Amino acid sequence: MLTEKVALPASGRAASRRSRALPRPLRGAARLRRLGTVGLVLYALALGAVLGLASANWATRGRYPFGGVTLNAWTAWPKIGSRDADPYVRAIHARTGEVPLALGEGLLLTALTDDEGRRLDPSCRYRIAGATPPARAWTLTVERRGRAKPEPQAGSVPPPRTGFTSTEVLRDRDGRFAVSVSPTVQPGNWLPMPEGEGSIRLVLRLYDTPVAASTGVLEREGVPSITREDCP
Amino acid sequence: MTPLGRFVLATLCGLVLAGLVHVAAVLAIPYLAAGDAMARSRATLANDTSVLVHAAETGGTAEQAEGWLPPQDPALAVGVCAYDLDDGPVRITAETGPLLETIALHGRNGAYYAITDQAAVRGTVELVIMTRRQFDEALATADEDERNRDVRIVAPSREGFVTVRVLAALPSQQAQANEAARSVSCTIDGPDE
Repeated sequence: MLTEKVALPASGRAASRRSRALPRPLRGAARLRRLGTVGLVLYALALGAVLGLASANWATRGRYPFGGVTLNAWTAWPKIGSRDADPYVRAIHARTGEVPLALGEGLLLTALTDDEGRRLDPSCRYRIAGATPPARAWTLTVERRGRAKPEPQAGSVPPPRTGFTSTEVLRDRDGRFAVSVSPTVQPGNWLPMPEGEGSIRLVLRLYDTPVAASTGVLEREGVPSITREDCP
Repeated sequence: MTPLGRFVLATLCGLVLAGLVHVAAVLAIPYLAAGDAMARSRATLANDTSVLVHAAETGGTAEQAEGWLPPQDPALAVGVCAYDLDDGPVRITAETGPLLETIALHGRNGAYYAITDQAAVRGTVELVIMTRRQFDEALATADEDERNRDVRIVAPSREGFVTVRVLAALPSQQAQANEAARSVSCTIDGPDE
């Protein structure tokens, strides 16, 4: 792929440095030993190239490796849309074509676990409740990795709901909400668990929020709680 | 050195090399990638209005849109409009409606400016993107008696793109959101102005 072009010059340079650093085989040593040295150099080069490219590929596959602000189960990503985003974030955006939310536009929060730190299980029912950080609008969506986009068909049933916006979510008297993420139908705000393979991710996007300017405003109490209710 | 020692040394060298390759590859990806938003948005350079790249899909079937963006917020319509400041400053005009709308300017190194529809004057957000040189020229030739109401933004580089995000808060607003994301005009500001 593209990355190979970069890697080759780098490994070539390192190889020449390495062969110089190696102690010269003794005069009495057999030819076999020299062959062994060549083999070891090639082995080191191959190891470096394969491990380096594989780890770079793994780290830039799609989900941000670090740089988030952890708030209970949620992780806020205030820097991904700014100009001081880290190189991994940039590489991920370059590979996926993603256009991140800019600082003044909003803030992205993601959750891979529930409040007790257990990974979100697609067969369980979860309750996402409480309040959100101050924002003009927010949306809560559930995503599944590697899920194929359904082909739109004329006259068929509309695709299941994938998210709630702050306007359409049903609230109680105090303005709080509770969304049930579950594979089976639930009363109230039911968010169907997406079908398919792969891990589940909850995404909370805050639009036009003062929080984006300084994440110090974000408080642990300010994010919705994610509670596992029952599992088959 | 024993054969085992040589093998361990070679492995260590390989690991150090792997670290170097890893760092070089991660740093080089943004410069080599052909499928990033910057490259994809180049196709819209000739358009006078933004192009819908992600349609809101909260109710019913989604509209057709260029689908190069990774999975996005389903309630959001995203429009993109590329610019090139070689031909002069670029004027972005967005008519805002009742829906939440944000406009962000992106350069090669990420977003450098963002504005929401709350900054609209009489229902219109108007921005002029310029290079530093064009900005200085505009200042030098400005008529002192005439007040200029443009929001002028100095871009870090000549090439970039503008994104418009419109939120369809209710399924019934889907069509309106798509229309708003598609109708932002980005034209080259004529030299007569």
